[in-house]
Amino acid sequence: MSPTQTNLLQGTLDLLILQAIGDSEFHGLGISRRIEQITRGTFHVKPGSLFPALHRMEEAGWLTSSWGESENNRRARYYRRTKVGEKQLGVETRQWETIVRGIASALKAT
Amino acid sequence: MGFASRLRSGLRNLLRKQHVEEELDAEVRAYVDLLTDEKIASGADPEEARRAARAECGGAEQVKQSVRDSRAGVAIETVWQDVRYALRGFRRNPIFASSVITILALGLGSTTAVFSVVDRILFRSLPYADSSHIVSVGLVQSLEREEFMLGSFFYQWRDSQKPFWAMASQGANPHACDLVRNTPVELDCIPVQAGFLPMLGISPVLGRNFLPAEDRPDGPPVALISWNVWRNQFGGNPGIVNHLIDIEGNQVRVVGVLPRYFQLPTLQHADIYLPMALDEAAQRRARVGQPMRTFARLKPGVSVAEARAEMEPLFRSTQQTVIPASVRDDFRLSVRSLRRREMEGVTLPAWLLLAAVMSMLLIACANVASLMMARAAARSHETAVRAALGAGRARLVRQSLTEALLLALLGTGAGLALASILLRIFVRLAPIGIPYIGRVHLDLRIVAFALVLALSCAILAGIVPAIDRPNQLSAGARTFGPAHHAILRRVLVVGQIATSLVLLAGAALLVRSFTRIESQRLGMRTHHLVAATIVLPWSRYKTPQKKEQFYLQTEEAVRRLPGIRAVAWTDSLPPGGWADNRRMSDIGIAGKPPEKMPGRIVARHVTPGYFRALDIPILSGRAFQQADRDSGQPMVVINRLLADRLFSNSDPIGQHIQTMPGDPWYQIVGVSADSKNNGLADPTEPEMDFLILNTDADWGRKIPVGEDMSGGAPMLVIDSVLPPATVASWVQSQVHHIDPTVPVKTDTVAQRLNDLVVRPRFETALLTFFACAGLLLAVIGLYGVTAYLATQRTREIGVRIAVGATRIDILRLILAEALRLVLIGCFIGLVLAVSFSRFLKSLLYHVSPHDPAIFAVVTAILGCSALIAAVIPARFAMRVDPVDALRSE
Repeated sequence: MSPTQTNLLQGTLDLLILQAIGDSEFHGLGISRRIEQITRGTFHVKPGSLFPALHRMEEAGWLTSSWGESENNRRARYYRRTKVGEKQLGVETRQWETIVRGIASALKAT
Repeated sequence: MGFASRLRSGLRNLLRKQHVEEELDAEVRAYVDLLTDEKIASGADPEEARRAARAECGGAEQVKQSVRDSRAGVAIETVWQDVRYALRGFRRNPIFASSVITILALGLGSTTAVFSVVDRILFRSLPYADSSHIVSVGLVQSLEREEFMLGSFFYQWRDSQKPFWAMASQGANPHACDLVRNTPVELDCIPVQAGFLPMLGISPVLGRNFLPAEDRPDGPPVALISWNVWRNQFGGNPGIVNHLIDIEGNQVRVVGVLPRYFQLPTLQHADIYLPMALDEAAQRRARVGQPMRTFARLKPGVSVAEARAEMEPLFRSTQQTVIPASVRDDFRLSVRSLRRREMEGVTLPAWLLLAAVMSMLLIACANVASLMMARAAARSHETAVRAALGAGRARLVRQSLTEALLLALLGTGAGLALASILLRIFVRLAPIGIPYIGRVHLDLRIVAFALVLALSCAILAGIVPAIDRPNQLSAGARTFGPAHHAILRRVLVVGQIATSLVLLAGAALLVRSFTRIESQRLGMRTHHLVAATIVLPWSRYKTPQKKEQFYLQTEEAVRRLPGIRAVAWTDSLPPGGWADNRRMSDIGIAGKPPEKMPGRIVARHVTPGYFRALDIPILSGRAFQQADRDSGQPMVVINRLLADRLFSNSDPIGQHIQTMPGDPWYQIVGVSADSKNNGLADPTEPEMDFLILNTDADWGRKIPVGEDMSGGAPMLVIDSVLPPATVASWVQSQVHHIDPTVPVKTDTVAQRLNDLVVRPRFETALLTFFACAGLLLAVIGLYGVTAYLATQRTREIGVRIAVGATRIDILRLILAEALRLVLIGCFIGLVLAVSFSRFLKSLLYHVSPHDPAIFAVVTAILGCSALIAAVIPARFAMRVDPVDALRSE
């Protein structure tokens, strides 16, 4: 993975996670699968990036987590978005739109 | 909000580490399990599914580590990890850690202790308000080198001067005075003018200062008492103010208590401060007037030199009107800053000690740096492995910094402990005359100073090897660190040897000078001699008859004890200390025109037993006889030096001389051998010993008593075959029998002599200690470097032996390297030592600061010890087995 791609991913990972969780709750693999699904397979988030991000976001108060049972009776940790997380999603979305507009106009300029 | 949440998590991560770790572990495992389930569900073989899931997860440990790295509190966590890692390292290699800590402690401990002592002398402001503006002002002359003033011109100076904001005096000397409560206690009283304390910027902690109305001859009797008297005599009773106390039989009202650490600017000891209460009009009229010490506070912006220039006209007019024409040229005006007056004589030794201890600290720091580099080199394999396993450079630097800081802190702790011990020893051993030594202690400023020193030393030593850590895997290579470390370490060793040589040379010069002082012939007996100082309370011994009676009675009583060989009264004792000095130019010889000779004469007033007691031989003529005392004939014994000066080609015996125009003529009855009479270090001066006649004039005036004591308290010297303690208690009992209220202080002449050498001994001992410690550290440094270089060349040595080099060749190879460092170091050291040693000149007695023998000896000592330090590792290198050396590749 080239550095540029990593950076892009890092910048957008929080946004993707907050968006993917939505108003329901998911465990780690679930979030990973959900991101694949909503980005139509563009992004595949590996646990090495996913878990640090989840823990960081939880420490920042954007997510809460609790242990629960999965559909096939596995004990797993489920993440849910908090009020702060929702607000953060708004912030990140606006930031992302700014970037997209910027990049788009930059590309058009050539 | 985010911050609070992060803080909470951070605390949780740190405090409930185990729990957090377990949860993380379970979470990552669950991920793999879920992934496996998913793959099984999509039809994979269970074993295959688990393997694939693990692969996709990318290593559970790495995932967990990256989560840990992103957690709150991760910085504290890694610091703690580094600290633990460092401590583990110290435990594994205790010799390294303990040597670094010991060396740091030694260097820092001594530096801090010495700094605490010299801080007061060199840097700390004196304990008066705005003390840099206070000056000592007055006249100096060849017989009195500290500024003094006389009542006859003080008032004129005070009223006409311009450079000072205020000018005020204290008495010339404190006098003994009895504070009578139940039993009399002998204290020191000092008269001061009402303006004296305000000029110094000192106010009493209790009560008030003297009022101008109290500083008059007919003023009400009042006193200020020192903090110590207040605590010790009056139990710190705050009601002491306005209390009446009995001083010398007078009822005196206490008006205040002085601050705890108040000290007279003359550094004299005083317990009770009385108003000077001079009659201003009478003083102005007097031919001489009351002697006093005057201090003044400069106006803002006026320098000491400007003040001196502005006082010059006043001095000129005084010189013309007050001072007799014959001695006019001998008097000069002097204005000195208070610091110079107080610290003259101790400033140079203080700088010297500070420089010495700093040099030692430098050597110590170089050693620490060298040790740390060696350790870094020895661990290059381990660091390379850690780098290869993914430790970032920043992490490695941080690790080695943590280690260095930890060592610095431990070293500082140990150093401060050592410093407080050393300081206690210094204060115990310190000679009298080091100002403010009683107040020396380790304060926060000095602790901070030590900490900064240690940290900068350790950081430098820790960071240099860490910064250029090779990032490539050099685990297998037989190289130890980059080549420039070896160069740096060589430079450090050269510096250490050079510094050590400078220190050794300085110490050796002082030691040589000290042995010269101690081994010189004094020309007098010092053993079996007891000196009893007896100061009569002036309030009860006012008439010469009463004094004479007491002195003669005491002499007679003391003589009665069997075993006592000689007893004599004298007002001073050789070889140093106060004596009633005269000017050579004042001497008149009967029948000869006056001859103005320069210099001064030591003068004593003695009774006949003096020469026998001190065993000073009479070379021609005779000593005084008991019968002479009642003859009423003034007579004198002069020493050979004076005889040669005055009567170079005639017989002095029978000649008459006088010491001042108008004074009586003294007949010279004998010439005594020269004995040391001007301190131990300065050349002997001409001396005249007058006989104390049994007349009112002699007992009343020549032996001064309390009231106008100008330094010479009467002393009874006793030579006996008995132990000094027996004689001392005998004298005490006899005096007590005659008058129980008269205090007696006894000591031995040997003790007095010892007091004279305490200062040089103290300085020499300290410097020698630092020099030896410096030498030891430098030698250890050289040993370390030689051993390091030898190990580094193991392979080369192996090859050399394999191709036919003999063991001696190898020894020569390693030694040549060490020898080169020693030679360069010695050369630089010699150059530095020769250029610095002239600063020692004024401290040296009969030793040239460039004494070639001393420099040769010192270089030899250093060279030999260095060579031994180099031979040990060189011999190890010599025994290298070529097979082993090459196989270790």
